[in-house]
Amino acid sequence: MIKTISTPREKKVTGCGECRSTCQSACKTSCTVGNQSCERITREENPEKINRK
Amino acid sequence: MVHIFNFENYNYIYDSGSGSLHECDKDTADYLKAKYECGAMPALSAEKIAEIEADISALKDKGLLFADEVKTAPMKPKDAKALCLHICHDCNLRCRYCFADEGAYHSEREFMSLETAKTAIDFLLKNSGNRKVLEVDFFGGEPLMCLDTVKKTVAYAKAEAAKLGKKFLFTTTTNALLLDDDAIEFFNTEMENVVLSLDGRKEVHDAIRKTRNGKGSFDLVIENIKKFVRSRGDKHYYVRGTFTSKNLDFSKDVIFLADNGFDSISMEPVVTDIADLQISDEHLGTVCTEYETLCNQYLERHKAGKGFNFFHFNIDLEGGTCLQKRVSACGAGNEYFSVVPNGDLYPCHQFAGDKNFLMGNVKDGIIRGDIREKFASNSLFTREECDGCFAKFICSGGCSANNYNFMGDMNKPYPVTCAMMKKRIECGMHALARKKDGKN
Repeated sequence: MIKTISTPREKKVTGCGECRSTCQSACKTSCTVGNQSCERITREENPEKINRK
Repeated sequence: MVHIFNFENYNYIYDSGSGSLHECDKDTADYLKAKYECGAMPALSAEKIAEIEADISALKDKGLLFADEVKTAPMKPKDAKALCLHICHDCNLRCRYCFADEGAYHSEREFMSLETAKTAIDFLLKNSGNRKVLEVDFFGGEPLMCLDTVKKTVAYAKAEAAKLGKKFLFTTTTNALLLDDDAIEFFNTEMENVVLSLDGRKEVHDAIRKTRNGKGSFDLVIENIKKFVRSRGDKHYYVRGTFTSKNLDFSKDVIFLADNGFDSISMEPVVTDIADLQISDEHLGTVCTEYETLCNQYLERHKAGKGFNFFHFNIDLEGGTCLQKRVSACGAGNEYFSVVPNGDLYPCHQFAGDKNFLMGNVKDGIIRGDIREKFASNSLFTREECDGCFAKFICSGGCSANNYNFMGDMNKPYPVTCAMMKKRIECGMHALARKKDGKN
């Protein structure tokens, strides 16, 4: 039996939810600088509108 | 592609095309492995095989299994969004594994002037296009060695951003040695996130993170960090440790941190070529087993109501991330730059001081557009080794600097890092599943 645990709510070209989970690199601040920016910006810039472009 | 894996007695199927995670019984896992990967086909009844095939077919129809993967190149944002501001290239600690040459970055120890810091802010604002929210990470060396400059830079950035209808989010990465009441109050008022370096158990921390006179720094920072975390409320912070080949039992360090009241923890594998500290092939088996041990303890704590946030087990498969991010990672060298004390620009802190990657300076802007173009073009699709990897849309192809430093090519993933990454992702998926149904 196969049970689905999790699946994305919506596929988006851009406009994300929680980016901190993606860049799990060994480097020191890409996790606190790069990802955080993406998360905040897309949250505040209306992802739906961006996706329609 | 699908990735079939088990964590102890639990069996999972991750579909990288759809980003879906499924759980199945062992027979189904063995059948799928035999059919789509390798391994002996299990002896199953015709009814069981029909049941498995029906499940597969139903999920395929829903686009949740064997879904097509994205193959298109990412968009290339042209606007800057963040700076890593090396407010000083000096440090009050002498940590053996420091990638930054114990704060000096293989150059002279120096501090960024307020004028240069302001020019860096101007550079970011000028190059940020329509972006409303920008970010600055105060980095070093040790930023608390020049707190006054940090304070004045924050005040300047806020004022200039307000004129343009923009907003800054600030982060500081600190060793906490100078984290006094004044700094704590400032951080809690102005910093969106604070990253505090602490490696875990005293003996582990002290073996590497020493003061300039060669003594361990644990006793000098632990109470500062505790005091800060108690005062932090619900604002973001990470207590961030580094593990080396000297403490491959690093789950004990994570649990030590949790036992000390820290509920937001990260523990990174060291990035170094120092022979007796680096993580290499020979350590991978132990490291992967240790991640499993940590995952079990993480879930036990969660079940007991004493859960903590461990950065690398945070897998958000439902909210997901945007395609651009999934294929292009951190944005270093294109959306995000490091500024060293004299104002020179580099793709990120890991490249700081390497003249081959000097992109320009905050006064004159980006002079080496070719370097920016190169970084903007880096993606999953320029990393051939990533093509057959289940983890690619989660790790985003890894860290360019890490690839460059170990493999000599930003587009060649370092296999040791990949192996640890994949194990952490499997642990994260297991944790997600068990937390979700409460069966841990």
